[in-house]
Amino acid sequence: MTGMLQKMKNAVRSRSIHVTYVDTGSCNGCDIEVLACLSPRYDLEQYGIYVHNNPREADVLLVLGCCTPQWEDKLKGLWEKIPEPKVAIAIGNCPLSGCVFNREGSYVNPPASKHIPIAASVPGCPPRPTEIIRAILSLAPTVFKDYEEKRE
Amino acid sequence: MKKTVDVAIPIGPVHPCWKEPVRIKCETKGEQVLSVEVELGYMKKGIERIMRGRPWQEVMFLAERVCGICSVVHNMVFIETMEAISEIEPTERAAFLRVIVNELDRMQSHLIANFSYCYTIEHETLAMYLLNEREHVMDMIERITGNRVNTAYMIPGGVRYDLRPEDAESLRETLALLEKNLDRYMRIFENGPMIALRSRDIGILTKEDALMAHAVGPTARASGIATDLRTTHPTYRKLDFEPVVRTEGDNYARIMVRFEELFRSIGLIRRALAMMPEGPVRGGGICKGGEIRYSGEAPRGELTYFVKADRYGRVEDIAIQTPSIMNIDACTHHMLKGVLSVADVTATFISSDPCIACNER
Repeated sequence: MTGMLQKMKNAVRSRSIHVTYVDTGSCNGCDIEVLACLSPRYDLEQYGIYVHNNPREADVLLVLGCCTPQWEDKLKGLWEKIPEPKVAIAIGNCPLSGCVFNREGSYVNPPASKHIPIAASVPGCPPRPTEIIRAILSLAPTVFKDYEEKRE
Repeated sequence: MKKTVDVAIPIGPVHPCWKEPVRIKCETKGEQVLSVEVELGYMKKGIERIMRGRPWQEVMFLAERVCGICSVVHNMVFIETMEAISEIEPTERAAFLRVIVNELDRMQSHLIANFSYCYTIEHETLAMYLLNEREHVMDMIERITGNRVNTAYMIPGGVRYDLRPEDAESLRETLALLEKNLDRYMRIFENGPMIALRSRDIGILTKEDALMAHAVGPTARASGIATDLRTTHPTYRKLDFEPVVRTEGDNYARIMVRFEELFRSIGLIRRALAMMPEGPVRGGGICKGGEIRYSGEAPRGELTYFVKADRYGRVEDIAIQTPSIMNIDACTHHMLKGVLSVADVTATFISSDPCIACNER
């Protein structure tokens, strides 16, 4: 019985991924590439991905930007607000290394994995919308599959 | 009358309508907004600080990462500042190519601004139409410069790549397609009764207030101030550029100014393609020392670079003044005062097209 329930949950979760994105000090380049995913050309919603900025409903958190001091506590708070099962994806070079901003004298504090657990990253300055969609689509089902069984 | 505040409502820093983090604190009486405060500082990276002491070749890439939406104009203004210091002239073909890429960048910036506004007033159909048109513009930018967002297309003395004849042909085709589609979307916006309810006579910025707050760009032009630095740029003067001015000063006028500027940009690109002579695109030249203050027209208004370079072309001191800070000031102190509903706060704020990444750098 539990097996069937788990199967149903897997099927639903693979086609219903809620995404929220948080900009922790990027140059806007990655933001507009995430927004471009919404456009009918890339059409996120045909894959069952829905972008909205409510962390309490989200499954996937997209982290953009190079973690400015203002976000150190807020990023953690936002991560804790997201219900389980959850996963964070770093978009762009900034949350990985700080990109061009990680120089002596700047205020940034990368990588983002210092603050929250990052499951996958999409490098690029900025990455193309197709790469972002591919990352979400390839990661989310593997993370959410048999989540309850894995937890036990 | 005694000012009584019922509730102080914070909006942000993470909000469904905003791409960037910013916090707005509204003091409300019932539904009416009495006063508004904008809290910035979530994106401060210290770009100007890391620019100092670096050669211009490095500062060039940092300059275009000040803002991802209008990266081309940051690149263009910084390079023209270095050219003004070193007395380098771009080749004639390169000057027209700069205008073409800059206008394409302005088009995608205006399209995403209008998309954000339509998304905020929940007209999602028009928003998605506009976002899809933006992809055509992005294709053209990618085809000409090789990248979608951070292009690094301009260099002192010219541009990096020439425009091939087949690219020019596909650019003409795309412009024809965009003109046809955008005309339809502009009429949807112009005549939509629901859009008018959310936009007309909301967030009014009078001409006096706009002058007092030093509003720039489309925000000022929607309030009847004919300010556009493109009228003083030498290449744009060859192309007979006339700024778009409207006088209503409300949300509707600001979005309509951007729509009309899209058509001006299409016209400018067409004229530039027709007038562009054959010839080299890289003129060369060595960057020298000196200090200068140089301004250009970004999609959001006047963008000023102050650069002090030493004799090897290293940037000793740099200060950037971006347009959004003026418009945010105009928005908080004039547009948002006395807005009749809290729901209009986000729409009015988005209509002034604030770019937080530009502001805080």
